[in-house]
Amino acid sequence: MLFAAGVKIGSDFDTVIPIIIDPDTSNGDLNRTKDILRLYQEIRNQVDQPDDFYAQEIRTINEITVSTPVVNPDFFQFKLKDTDTNTFNQYIGFDSLSEDIAEKDDKNFVRLLYSAMNLKSNLDVGFKGNPNMGSIILNQFTNSEDFKKFGQTFGDDDAIFIVNSIFGGTGAAGFPLLLKNFRGNKNIPKHAKIKTAPIGGITYLPYFSLSKNEEINAESFEEKAKIAIDYYNRTIISLNQVNTLYFIGNRGNTNQEEYAVGGQEQKNKAHFLELAGALAILDFCKNINSITQITQIKEFGIEHDTQNISFTDLNIENAKQLSPPLTKFKMYTEYLDKGLSRALNTSRWTKSTIKLTPGNKQSLLNKNYFNSAEYKTQIQPFNNYFEEWIREMKDNKPAFTPFEEITADNALELVKGQTPKGNKSFKALDIQNCLLTDNISIRSKEKKHTMLIKMFGKSTDRVLSKRNLLIR
Amino acid sequence: MNEFFGTVYDTVFGIFANKYFLIFQHLYENGGYIKFGLSFILIPLVCWILFYYLWKYPYGKLWHWLVWLVITVLIVSGTTYGIANTEIFGSDNQALNEAIADASTGYADYADALPLKYALANSLLALIVSIIYSLIMKQFSKIQLHLPF
Repeated sequence: MLFAAGVKIGSDFDTVIPIIIDPDTSNGDLNRTKDILRLYQEIRNQVDQPDDFYAQEIRTINEITVSTPVVNPDFFQFKLKDTDTNTFNQYIGFDSLSEDIAEKDDKNFVRLLYSAMNLKSNLDVGFKGNPNMGSIILNQFTNSEDFKKFGQTFGDDDAIFIVNSIFGGTGAAGFPLLLKNFRGNKNIPKHAKIKTAPIGGITYLPYFSLSKNEEINAESFEEKAKIAIDYYNRTIISLNQVNTLYFIGNRGNTNQEEYAVGGQEQKNKAHFLELAGALAILDFCKNINSITQITQIKEFGIEHDTQNISFTDLNIENAKQLSPPLTKFKMYTEYLDKGLSRALNTSRWTKSTIKLTPGNKQSLLNKNYFNSAEYKTQIQPFNNYFEEWIREMKDNKPAFTPFEEITADNALELVKGQTPKGNKSFKALDIQNCLLTDNISIRSKEKKHTMLIKMFGKSTDRVLSKRNLLIR
Repeated sequence: MNEFFGTVYDTVFGIFANKYFLIFQHLYENGGYIKFGLSFILIPLVCWILFYYLWKYPYGKLWHWLVWLVITVLIVSGTTYGIANTEIFGSDNQALNEAIADASTGYADYADALPLKYALANSLLALIVSIIYSLIMKQFSKIQLHLPF
């Protein structure tokens, strides 16, 4: 979402390649993420040289290896073999061990490490908060074709950033395993480069609980986190396996998510901590030239201890990072939702059949564009996801509420606690859009979303900057 | 210019009568025709500059343009009427004043109708000029490019 809003990772990194590792292929959150990534790519592919909204290039490993422009969000996810049909005991061959005395000992030994419930667990919904299971399954991951492709495409100036949670199964187990392989697996293509590459990571400490405690017990989150931190301390931090490790979490008044072991039902609400965690990636990239071989530990904090966080409650540097892009993008989505109807086919920037006027002054954003399949199946769904994201962060605990509810008449009262003078409707935005319509740098007939995305990147900036609604 | 505008009103609109020569001579010699001409040229110019370049309203429709056109024509019309009235009845031309004062000459009745005639003529001219201005100015307007069409 931050990339859509115009954030770039900077430091000469040109492309972000998200890789999702999750055995729970039908997970609601996972599929939402993949759909958002798909829409992001589809929209960005239709913008000529994006320089504000959607400026950051995002690609899959597959797109790089086979040089295809085809968007397929499945390639964002690295698949784990044999996890979709097997139970854990089938996967590790526990069932195939006989009851002969020689193998019975093996079976009993396995029983020492895994409970009966562990062994019976289906793997298609992940490891249900059991890193001892995850560490076995994820170990095969580095032998996969996906991982080989990752190695093959790894370049000289590339860096790696790993995001995981410490209180679950997949992430808690996967992080040390990935690091172990990055730093020591000689079978990965371009092993020498990867071994010495800058690696950063963010580890999520518990920041939500569950509506009930069953197979996954939220009461164990904290204890699990402590044990895992101890393990990380010994195997990652002390051995300097990672250059920078960020920790983020929230104790106390945390949100309660609806209980789900995985699958489609698992749809956790977006949380402010996930947004704050994204800042860790920006921080890591910004400081890429000054990282040390000794692991640095960083934590995240806010200026004011509040349950309703807005931009002014953040550290000034974070406020400067988040306020302009999010406010601009929010204004853009709100406009398309609530303001467009007034301007459409009335305002000059939405008209393309103006008489006695050359083509380069006609708008490309006419009624046909806003009725087009591309607008309705790409721009609108993505904006809906953005609104949903903002709404979910608002409904979570602590709530992230930098924006007010607005109507078309008080649109400029968007930023919480800010009441600009003068007309507060979308009029100022429509004026700026009109002024920008002839601007050749925002026009492209070949790439359909160019004008919309570039125009609103500029017009929202002008309108909000003029009224001092952006923290810069 | 005086010659040109004089011809426009005298010949094109036929606002001339030899019998009341003093009025037209006075208008000609005192730059009255220039004032009339500049009224229908400059007032619409200012009005349409306001409309196309200074009026920052992004939801302009054809009816906005029509209302602006009517306002422009009315301003020109009123201004022209005022100028004509002042030029004819407020002049220090002794011969003309005496002629108007002498009811038997018919000057008074004729002069009374003249400001309205010039106002109507200038209204028509302002209408034409406004359309021309619109078609030219809209090309360079950022917000009202689409008006009148």
